[in-house]
Amino acid sequence: MSGLRHRELSQADLREFDYEVSRTKHSANRESKVENTIEDYVVKSEEKRLSKESSSLLRDLLDISPLVQDAAAAIVDDSFLRCFQSQSTDPWNWNIYLFPLWTVGMIVRYLILFPLRLIVLLGGFLIFFILFSAVHAIFKSDRVRRSRWEQSLVQFQCQMFVASWTGVVRYHGPRPVNRPNHVWVCNHTSMIDYIILCAYSPFAVIMQLHPGWVGFLQTQVLNCLGCLWFNRTEVKDRLIVAERMKAHVQAADTTPLLIFPEGTCVNNEYCVMFKRGAFDLGATVCPIAIKYNKIFVDAFWNSKRQSFTAHLGKLMTSWAVVCDVYFLEPQTKLPEENAQQFAERVQKMIAERAKLQVAPWDGYLKYYTLGVKHPDLIEKRRKVFGERIARYIRPQPPPPSPARPPKPPTDAVNGTEGARQRPVSRATT
Amino acid sequence: MGQALSFGLTQYDVEELKDYCDGRFTQSEIEGLYRRFRALDRGRKGFISSEEFSSIPELSINPLHFRMGQMFNHVNFKEFALALKASSKRASREDRLRTIFSLFDIDNDGILSPADLELMVRQLAGSSLSEEDLKIVVDRALKEANASDAGLTFDDVARALEGSELRMEVEMPVDY
Repeated sequence: MSGLRHRELSQADLREFDYEVSRTKHSANRESKVENTIEDYVVKSEEKRLSKESSSLLRDLLDISPLVQDAAAAIVDDSFLRCFQSQSTDPWNWNIYLFPLWTVGMIVRYLILFPLRLIVLLGGFLIFFILFSAVHAIFKSDRVRRSRWEQSLVQFQCQMFVASWTGVVRYHGPRPVNRPNHVWVCNHTSMIDYIILCAYSPFAVIMQLHPGWVGFLQTQVLNCLGCLWFNRTEVKDRLIVAERMKAHVQAADTTPLLIFPEGTCVNNEYCVMFKRGAFDLGATVCPIAIKYNKIFVDAFWNSKRQSFTAHLGKLMTSWAVVCDVYFLEPQTKLPEENAQQFAERVQKMIAERAKLQVAPWDGYLKYYTLGVKHPDLIEKRRKVFGERIARYIRPQPPPPSPARPPKPPTDAVNGTEGARQRPVSRATT
Repeated sequence: MGQALSFGLTQYDVEELKDYCDGRFTQSEIEGLYRRFRALDRGRKGFISSEEFSSIPELSINPLHFRMGQMFNHVNFKEFALALKASSKRASREDRLRTIFSLFDIDNDGILSPADLELMVRQLAGSSLSEEDLKIVVDRALKEANASDAGLTFDDVARALEGSELRMEVEMPVDY
C-alpha cells in the first residue's frame, strides 16, 4: 500500500523536475500543480493520523512510523533504479556436457569471431579515414557534393560497426527522408542506437559529448552531418543547443535530426520521461522505437559501470546483436495539447511498440540527487510535522489541517492524470 | 561455476541471515533484498555508501533521509537486512519500537537525551519550528514522559507510543 501511495507522490514531483530550456515559460502553472499534488498527499496522510484522537505531544513527536514506512519502501524497491538495471545472465554451463559446448562457444566467440570483427571494424576505419580526408581535399569548395559523400561515408562506417557485432537488425516502416520541419525521436538504450539508425539512413543527432576516442569521432567526423554536442550538466550548453536545434529543423537542406528525448540510456525494459525540447519546436515528430532482443547480449550501456569501449567489446564478443527498429507514423501536436502532453503521447506510442513500461522519472536523476536539487519537497513534509507539533506549545488553536485553497476538481489533475497510474507493476505474492 | 557464482548466497548464508533477523524474512525475501542490495551497491564493494543511498530519489525527499543515511552508511548486507527488519510483515511491535528508538538515539547510547531529541526534531520539522520553540517542545516532551534529566529510556518510548498503530510494513521485492 505504502509503495503505491509513495509512487504517486514521486510521479508528480518528477513531472516538474524538468530542466528544459523553456522552463520559465511554464514554470508558474506547473509548480502550482505539483504543489497541489504534494500538499494533497501530505495533508491526506496527516489527516489520517490526526483523525485518531491524540493529545500527547510526546506521542506525536515519537511516532515517525509513516516516514519510516516511506523510507523503507524506497529502500527495498524503487522504480527509478529499475530503469537502469542490466539484465543478469543466468549461467547455463553447469553440467558436464553443456560445459564443453560452452567452452567451445567461448573459444569461437573470443578467439575467432572477435579478431575477425576487430579486423572488419579497424579496416572500415582505415578506409573511412582515407576516403574522408580525400573527400575533404577534393571537394573543398563544393559543399553539396562533399556533404553527400560524407553522409555515405558515415553510413558505411556505421554499417561496419553493425557488421562487427553481426547485427541482425530488422527495419520496419518507411525509410526516413530528409524533409524540413521534421524531427525524429527515439528511445535510448545505448550509443549503438545511433549507429544502427545511421547504418540505415544518416541522421544528425543531439548527444552528450563523450571523452576519449568517441569524443574525437563526435567532434572531428560527425560534425559534418550537423550533429550537435553538449554537456548535459551545463545549462548554458543546453540553451545554445536548443537554439541550434530550431535552426537545424527549419533549414531545408540538412540531414534529418534525431533526438533521444530520454536524455540517458535506459535498459530497454522501461521508458523514462521524455524531455520537452523536441516537442517544443513546432515540428512534426516522427517516432522511432528500437527493441533489442536480449537473447545473446544485453545492449544496454550502463555508462556508470563500463566505458563505451568495454561496451563495444561486450557486443563484439557476443554471437549477435538482435534488434527491431520501427519507424512509426509521424505525429503533430494537437491544438489542445501542450508540449508535455504531446511528449507523453509520443512516449506512449514508442513504449507500446517496443513493449516498454513507462516510468515517470527524469533520467537526469542519474546525475544528481532529487533532494539536493529540490529541497522544497522535503520542506513541505517538514512543515506538516512542525505545525502539528506547534499546536501544543502555542496558545491559539490552529486549524486542524494546514489551510490551502480549495482545489479545482479536474483542472489540476488533468496534466498528471496519466502519470498517476502506477507506472511499474509490482508482482505481488 | 553455476548458480552460486551468479547469486552469491548459499543456503547456509540464507539460513544464517534468517536467524540473524529473527526469522522476519523468508528465503525469497532475503533473495529479493540481496538483489536489491547488489543493485544499490554500484561498485560491487560489498557495502552501500551514503551517496548511493541518497541516489534513490524517493528516499532523498524523506525528512528522515539524513538520519537514515547515517544509519545505513557503509552497511554490509547483514546490517542492511537487519535494519529493515521492522518493515517486514512479520515484525513484532517490539521490532518497530526498537527501530524508532534507534532512529532517535543519534549518539547510540541507549537513551534519548535532550540533545538527541533536539537534533531529530530539527530534522523532522525543519525551519517550521524556531529554535526557541524547539527547546520548548523537547522540554515539554520530556516532562510529559516524567523522564529523568538523562532523557527517555526505551520503556518511556514504548509507554508513550502505547496504542499507536506504528504501521511500517512494506512489501518486500521478491521479483527483483
